[in-house]
Amino acid sequence: METETIFIQHFNEESRPLAYYLAKMDGYKAAKKALAMQPDDITAEMKKSNMRGRGGAGFPTGMKWGFIPKTSTKPKYVVCNADESEPGTFKDRDIMRYTPHMLFEGMLIAGYAIGSNIGYIYIRGEYTREAKLLDAAIDEAYEKGYLGKNIMGTGFNFDITVHRGAGAYICGEETGLLNSLEGKRGEPRVKPPFPAIAGAFGGPTIVNNVETLAAVPYIITNGGDAFSKMGKIEKSGGTRLFCVSGHVKKPGVYELPAGSVTLRQLIYEHCHGILGDKKLKAVIPGGSSAPVLTADEIDVVVDIEPLMKIGTMLGSAGIMVVSEDYCVVKLLGRITKFYAHESCGQCTPCREGCKWMEDIIERIEHGHGREQDLNLLLDIADNINGKTLCALGDAAAGPVMSFVKKFRADFEAHIRGGKCPNA
Amino acid sequence: MPKCVIDGKEVEFTPGQNMIEVAAKAGIEIPYFCYHPGLSVVAQCRMCTVEIEKMPKLQTACSTAVAEGMVIKTKSEKVIKNQKSVMEFLLINHPLDCPICDKSGECDLQDFSFKYGDSNSRYTEERRTYMDLDMGPVIKKSMNRCIHCTRCIRFGEEIAHIHEMVATRRGNNTEITTIDGRPLETDYAGNYADICPTGSLTLKDFRFKKRVWYLKKTPTICEGCSKGCSMEVHQDNNVIARCLPRVNMEVNRHWLCDEGRFNYHYVGDKKRVKEPAIVGHSNPTASSSPSINPVANVNKTDWGSAIDAAKTVLAGKKVTVLIGSDLTQEEAKLLQDFVPATFSGASMFHFGTPGIKSVADDASADNILKRKSKTSNLNGMEKLGLKGFDSMPAGTEAVLVVRGGRAVLPDLKGLPAIGLGVFNESAAVRFKAILPGTAFAEKDGTILNHDNREQKLKRAVLPPGQSKALTEILMMWKNRKADNKSGATGAA
Repeated sequence: METETIFIQHFNEESRPLAYYLAKMDGYKAAKKALAMQPDDITAEMKKSNMRGRGGAGFPTGMKWGFIPKTSTKPKYVVCNADESEPGTFKDRDIMRYTPHMLFEGMLIAGYAIGSNIGYIYIRGEYTREAKLLDAAIDEAYEKGYLGKNIMGTGFNFDITVHRGAGAYICGEETGLLNSLEGKRGEPRVKPPFPAIAGAFGGPTIVNNVETLAAVPYIITNGGDAFSKMGKIEKSGGTRLFCVSGHVKKPGVYELPAGSVTLRQLIYEHCHGILGDKKLKAVIPGGSSAPVLTADEIDVVVDIEPLMKIGTMLGSAGIMVVSEDYCVVKLLGRITKFYAHESCGQCTPCREGCKWMEDIIERIEHGHGREQDLNLLLDIADNINGKTLCALGDAAAGPVMSFVKKFRADFEAHIRGGKCPNA
Repeated sequence: MPKCVIDGKEVEFTPGQNMIEVAAKAGIEIPYFCYHPGLSVVAQCRMCTVEIEKMPKLQTACSTAVAEGMVIKTKSEKVIKNQKSVMEFLLINHPLDCPICDKSGECDLQDFSFKYGDSNSRYTEERRTYMDLDMGPVIKKSMNRCIHCTRCIRFGEEIAHIHEMVATRRGNNTEITTIDGRPLETDYAGNYADICPTGSLTLKDFRFKKRVWYLKKTPTICEGCSKGCSMEVHQDNNVIARCLPRVNMEVNRHWLCDEGRFNYHYVGDKKRVKEPAIVGHSNPTASSSPSINPVANVNKTDWGSAIDAAKTVLAGKKVTVLIGSDLTQEEAKLLQDFVPATFSGASMFHFGTPGIKSVADDASADNILKRKSKTSNLNGMEKLGLKGFDSMPAGTEAVLVVRGGRAVLPDLKGLPAIGLGVFNESAAVRFKAILPGTAFAEKDGTILNHDNREQKLKRAVLPPGQSKALTEILMMWKNRKADNKSGATGAA
C-alpha cells in the first residue's frame, strides 16, 4: 500500500489555482466544516492530532492554540511564520508555491479557533516569487468569498495580509518576527510575556509555521486521531516534509510519515545515496543549527525525540548531507559565519561570541590555528549555549561544539599541518 | 509579605518587585549593565544571570519575577562562570582606555570587571572599531567603548519621548548612534551620559575637567525651575565641576534636564560681581548715564562704602523691594522682617520669570520635568504672602532688588536701584551699588516646589570673593551707623 501523503502529490504548477484546489483537493470544505464547529472543539482536535510545530521547536500546536485567552480586549492575530530562514530548509517554499490555498484555509480555521479575524503571512524577503504568488492567490480567495467578510455565508470574517521580510534570519524567531511585522527592528523580545498573551501589536497571537497551518484542513477533514495515526512514533502525528540537500544523488523535498524512516533509509533509499558513491562524512539533521552527526550515527529514526536522545535535533527537518571529501572545518566556518552575520546584536554572548568563534575557525581553516584554539572554541560555545536571550546563541554554539568534538582530528590536522589535508 | 531565599538568606519582597532590587535590599549585589530601575527591562547584557532552583538554565534577574519560596543563588559556580564569560565578551572589543576615559572611577564596566572579571584575556583577534560622529553640544560619543546595553535608546523613547538614539546594523557590527547621525535634539541629553554604564557617552561639559575620585558631592536641589529636582553638586577646590540628578522618586526620579544640569555655570562665572561695588560714578547719587561702559564702571569697594552708598540711594525714599523667587524661604522671611522695619511704606513683590506672575501661570513645560516658572521657589513666595511683580507702583522713588542668580530682572524704569545678591557685570550697570550675595550652591535653605514639597538646599561651595550670605549683609546694614562715613576708596 502506498503511504498516504498530504502535500507532495500536489507539488506541481497545476495545483496552484483556486479552481484546482476546489475541484481536486476538496478545497475549503474543511473550513466549512470547522466554521460549523465550536472553536474549542477545533483546538481539541488539534491536540488529538499530535501535530508538533514544523518550524523547528516542535511545540505541540493544539497546546499553543489553547494558551490564547478566551477573552481579550485587544484583537487576536494568526501569524504564519513563512520566514523559512534556517539554512537547508526549503519545504515551506513549495507549499506556498504550489498549494497556497491549503495555507489560507488552515489560517482561516486557526483564526476561527482562537477568535481572530486577522492573519499575517510573514514571508522571507528572498521569496519574491512566492510572495507574488501568495498575493495573487489571496486575491482569488477574496474574489470567491473564501477570505474577507462573511466567509461562505457563515458570518465569520478573516483577512490575510502578506508581509515581506527584509532578509534577516532572526525574523524567523517568533518574537523577532513580530517586532519586524510591527515595523520595529527585528530583534527577539524578552519572554515572558509569550506571544499567546502579548504578541503582535500587544494582542494575543499564535505564530505557526507554514507546514503546520497547511496541515490543519487535513486534520479537520479527517480528524485529529487519523492525523495522529499517520505518525509512526509516539507524540508525533502526521507526515513530515524533509528537505534533503548536499552530497546526495537525489536532493529535494520528501514527505514521509513522522518517525517512519531512519536517516540511513532517507539518504540511501529515498535519496539514492551519496554523490559519486563516496563515503558519508557527516549529516546535519535539522537545519544548520542542529548539532552534526557522524556517518556512524545515522541509524536513528528521523523525528523529534529520537534525534534529541542522541544530542541533536530535527529542527526544521533540513537535512544536509556531507561526503567524505568535503572539509568539515570549512563547513563549520561557513555555518558560524552565517550565525555571526545574522546575530541581531542585542545580547552580549551572541553578539561578541559568534564573531569570535567565526574568527578562530577562519584562522584554523587557513592554517593559522593554535593548539589551544579548540578548547577555547569549546569554552566560548559553552559560554553562549543556553545563556542568550533567544535561541540564536544555541543555534551558533551547537554546531561548533558538535563539530569540534566529533571531528576533532580534522581540526587538529589543519592546525598541525597548516592547511586542509583534503586540499 | 511573601518571602524568597537568596544565597541562603530569607528575604521579603513585594510582588512585582524586581529581583535585582529585592537582592539589593538584602545587601546582595547582582551585577548588571542593561538594567536600569527607571527604564524598561530588556535582559540583553546577560550579566545579572542567577541560578534558580528547579530551573535548568540560568535566568536573568532583571526579567524574572520573584515568586514565593523561590530559591535563588547569585554566587553559584555556574553563575560565577557566566559572569566571567559576560565580562570577557564585553571586554574583547572594548579599548580598555580607562586611563584617558572620563568615566573611569565611576564606570560600571570597570568596577564589575574588577569584581567579576578575569585579569587575563584570551582574545587575540583584531578589535572592532567604529568611526565616531558628533552628537551635538552636550554629549561626546566614543562608540568603541560601547557595550550595547541600549539604555540610551530606551531613555530617549521612554523618558525623553524622542526617538533619536537607535541601533543600526546588526550582530557584531551593531552601532548605537542617532538617526542619520543627526545631533541630539532632546533637552535631556545629559542623562545619556549619566546612564551610560561605560565611557561611551560622556558630557562634553565635564570632559577632561576632573578625575571623578577628586569630586566632593553635596546633595542639594536644582534651582532651574519650580519642579525643584533633587540634584548633586560635584566640586573640587571650591569649583563646581558638574551637577548630576539625585534619585527622588517623588520629584525627578532619576533624571535632570540640561537646563538645570548646566545652570551652575554662572556660579563660578568670571564676570560675576564678587566684591561690593559702586556703579557708574564716584558720586553714587548722580543718575547713571546709559552711555557709560558697563564693565569699566563697576568699581570694587569695601562693604562699608557699598552699604553707605546703598543707604544713600534708598534713604528717605519711597522704596519698592523686588525679591527674586530664586531665593529660599528663609531668605524671603528675613526680608519680610527687615524691609518694613527699615524702609517705611515700602512695598514688596516677588519676580522671577517673565510672564509667570503667580503659581496660576506655572505649568509643566514639556510633560517631563521642566516647568514654566524658571525659578524654584515661586510657590514658596506665594505661600509667604508675597505678590508677583507686575509694574512699578506709582510714586516709587528707588528700588531694592534681592535675587539669587536665576530670577530675570524686570524693567526698573530707570529708577535708582540697589542690587543685593548675584549679578554679573552687564546686569550690574542697572544699579547704583551691588551688594554681592550667594548663589544656590553656596547656601543652605528650603524651597517649596510646585507640588508643595519642601526641598532642602545644601551649601556645596563657599561664596566667592567677598560675597556674603543675606543674613550677614542685612546684619551689616543694620549695625552700620549712618554717620560712619568711610571713603569710597578706603579699605574694608
